[in-house]
Amino acid sequence: MVDWSIKVGGAAGQGVQTVSEILALMLKRSGYYVFSLEDYQSRIRGGHTFTHIRLSDEPVWAAKKYLDLLVCLDPLTHGLHRHEVKERGFILGSFVPVGDASNSHHFITIDFEKEAIQLGNKVFANMVAVGAISAILGLAPELSEAYIEEVFAKKGKEVVEKNKLAFRRGRELVGIDPVLPQKGSIKSDHAPQFLLDGNQALGLGALFAGCTFYSAYPMTPSTGIMNFLASRAKEYGIMVEQAEDEIAAINMALGASYAGARAMTGTSGGGFCLMVEGLGLAAMTEVPIVVVDGQRPGPSTGLPTRTSQADLLFVVHAGHDEFPRFVFAPRDPQDAINVVRRAFYLTEKYQVPAIILSDQYLADAKVSYRNLELEEIPDFLIQVSDSSEYCRYALTPSGISPRVIPGGRALVVVDSDEHDECGHLTEDLGVRIAMHEKRMKKWEAMKKEMRMPFYAEGKDMTLIGWGSNWGVLQEVRKELRAEGIDAGFVHFNELWPLPFGLREFLVRLPLPVVVENNYRGQFADLLERETKFSFPVRITRYDGRPFLVDELRERVKEVLHDGQSV
Amino acid sequence: MMANPFEQEKAVEIAWCPGCGNFGILRALKEALFELGYEPHQVVLVSGIGQAAKLPHYLNANVFNGLHGRSVPVAFAIKTVRPELLVVAESGDGCMYGEGGNHFLHAIRRNPDLTVIVHDNQVYGLTKGQASPTSEEGFVSKVQAMGNFSTPFNPLSIAIAQDASFVARGFSGDVEGLKKILKEALSWKGFALVDVLQPCVSFNRVNTYGWYKERVYYLGEDHDPSNRLQAFERSLEWGERIPLGIFYTHLRPTYGEKLYTQIPRSHLLYQGMLSQEGIAREFQRLM
Ligand SMILES: Cc1ncc(C[n+]2csc(CCOP(=O)(O)OP(=O)(O)O)c2C)c(N)n1
Ligand code: SF4
Repeated sequence: MVDWSIKVGGAAGQGVQTVSEILALMLKRSGYYVFSLEDYQSRIRGGHTFTHIRLSDEPVWAAKKYLDLLVCLDPLTHGLHRHEVKERGFILGSFVPVGDASNSHHFITIDFEKEAIQLGNKVFANMVAVGAISAILGLAPELSEAYIEEVFAKKGKEVVEKNKLAFRRGRELVGIDPVLPQKGSIKSDHAPQFLLDGNQALGLGALFAGCTFYSAYPMTPSTGIMNFLASRAKEYGIMVEQAEDEIAAINMALGASYAGARAMTGTSGGGFCLMVEGLGLAAMTEVPIVVVDGQRPGPSTGLPTRTSQADLLFVVHAGHDEFPRFVFAPRDPQDAINVVRRAFYLTEKYQVPAIILSDQYLADAKVSYRNLELEEIPDFLIQVSDSSEYCRYALTPSGISPRVIPGGRALVVVDSDEHDECGHLTEDLGVRIAMHEKRMKKWEAMKKEMRMPFYAEGKDMTLIGWGSNWGVLQEVRKELRAEGIDAGFVHFNELWPLPFGLREFLVRLPLPVVVENNYRGQFADLLERETKFSFPVRITRYDGRPFLVDELRERVKEVLHDGQSV
Repeated sequence: MMANPFEQEKAVEIAWCPGCGNFGILRALKEALFELGYEPHQVVLVSGIGQAAKLPHYLNANVFNGLHGRSVPVAFAIKTVRPELLVVAESGDGCMYGEGGNHFLHAIRRNPDLTVIVHDNQVYGLTKGQASPTSEEGFVSKVQAMGNFSTPFNPLSIAIAQDASFVARGFSGDVEGLKKILKEALSWKGFALVDVLQPCVSFNRVNTYGWYKERVYYLGEDHDPSNRLQAFERSLEWGERIPLGIFYTHLRPTYGEKLYTQIPRSHLLYQGMLSQEGIAREFQRLM
């Protein structure tokens, strides 16, 4: 089995992203499963950025710490990452080999930029690098060149030819035989077909759900959703508005939803803070809305381009007074498509807000898939009504009132103040009680709607995670089992409300270990509170980087070794 | 004569103080809507929070009574999604120019086809008498105990400076005059601001009915609303003489009109999930 890790590093603006994007797509076309993850700083030029690319014959969902190939677009990359290169791993690029480890590495020194200048322009440096990498990996040159043709076709023949030359030059300069068996056919019915990242997937989910309105204020890592929807706006009829701030964004989305659009907004923690009053408005007016919070470390601006799972308790409780809401956290891009669709369905069915917790890791990591599967999801078409007796907040046994949109003779009156059945504001405390109970009553039915977590059994211990840690936990479980540790795996992508019967489920799990990207283990805390079952063993990471497979495996083993006394 | 359908059948208890300027605005708006031939179901009133913001509850129409300062983003979205509805955003000066100041500025930039009516009583009514953005310098309240230190916000000058499409001022003490202005504003295509001088009989002892009556006058024939510089100059006039009427108009494409050349308006209303063909096309693109 092929399982290679490559890191491409350089200064921001040098083309790390271009090299990695082209490479990831070439690898996918060649029949490899790929996973790629960008690590970048909050700046446009300079500094240090890298992309982690993993390729395998089997589906892969997470990055590993140790590298088979390090590609240095600048000397700093070599200095920072050479220690991560495995024995007999490859280091490619322009650098001066240093350190004791050197002897155990294969060095291939190529000054990409110098070569590119000789070809007429330093912009070709990236393609020289791609060529060199493809030679080391043994990617079929015809396939790669066909790909270059496609990518640059729009820019004209000359650009295509120059890039091909650069690509060939890179291949030539490597001067060694390919390390991996030559790959070149995607005919295999096992090969991946799709490559997508979380933001694209969240956008796709909204598009498939028929979202017609998206308003947001740019904030990493959620901006990609707005970019994606804007790229499809004209084709499908979606209004994408860059609001003046997050407060406007959520209020616009609510206005649109009231008027009959399917509306969504997206942001990150700080922006979500600004939206919270609007979230309460959604709850009080019972206007459906989907809100994406792409988590990044805080508090405050924190680490703008890094990842985190630390907004969980915030979004579960956000808002004053009490109101029910749905909280989801997609496991991976494929899942994100369905989660958004389900969020739209549930926000409309219950007329309560639905929040999707994404994070920088989910948003930016690209994952390849053989297939993408769409779940069956019912549709709601809300129309105008001519009933002159219509009252927006009619009291019903379920707490859910028939909803119509304005335009028919039935007047739609919604209010952020406490209101009567017809939406008019009231200070009648009896009405208040009835209305508050009506809103809260939805809770029981919402709990029934929630699904039990994904569960794969294991006798020795159980890994528990949520959201984007799905992939790394799955791979860690596989590795542990290969080492003779029978690890089980429980994963939640539907976080709130928690389904009924969870305690009975949890008490049977052998040695649960909760893994989260936050300091205290927020989900473990939430589970403890709700199920009265305690989770003393927690593995957390809060430096802004995601868990890596090999690192996490070692940490799990340490925990097992130390017994349950953590 | 036909009954005004905007009149509520069941009398709702109105929470305004007797004699408040809000009553004049309510009457002028109801009559303007009726005289323009609208029916209640064709109209959406969006408001924020405050005494003024309760107005939509006192007439028959669709209502979105949202958050303090946030009526304009809500109204913008409703209007763009459903251009066939008449959308009015309405609130107090604190709501629109204070908490909602940012939205006010940016709505002018977008130029949605909205009418924005501001009950400008130069005071915060509902929270009991603090200075508002339009309070005069020196205005004394429990909070501004040493007198208001800040220069008043001049909504008209700011709107004209931003090239708002329609800028007007009315006085709630002259319902007929206000109604005429409102009818123009409601018929206008684009962002129409009507700042309404509204005496607050409980908390503003300076800008009373009498005070206004001595000062207000209507802009005459000599005023050319298409002349931006002249409009700006008139908007600065305040004190002994306070002009009313339509200060500035500039007909230009609305946000919706620009959007609908790209996206048919009917597409913005949810019509069901994406078709199988659409999904297949998107999957193809990902390959
Ligand atoms: C976010 C928020 N901040 C503050 C308030 C309290 N509040 C309610 S009305 C109001 C001011 C109202 O003044 P204005 O908009 O001038 O309307 P008026 O009552 O004078 O008609 C304030 C500060 C609120 N409801 N929400
Ligand atoms: S407080 Fe002032 S503005 Fe409010 S209702 Fe009373 S008089 Fe009118």
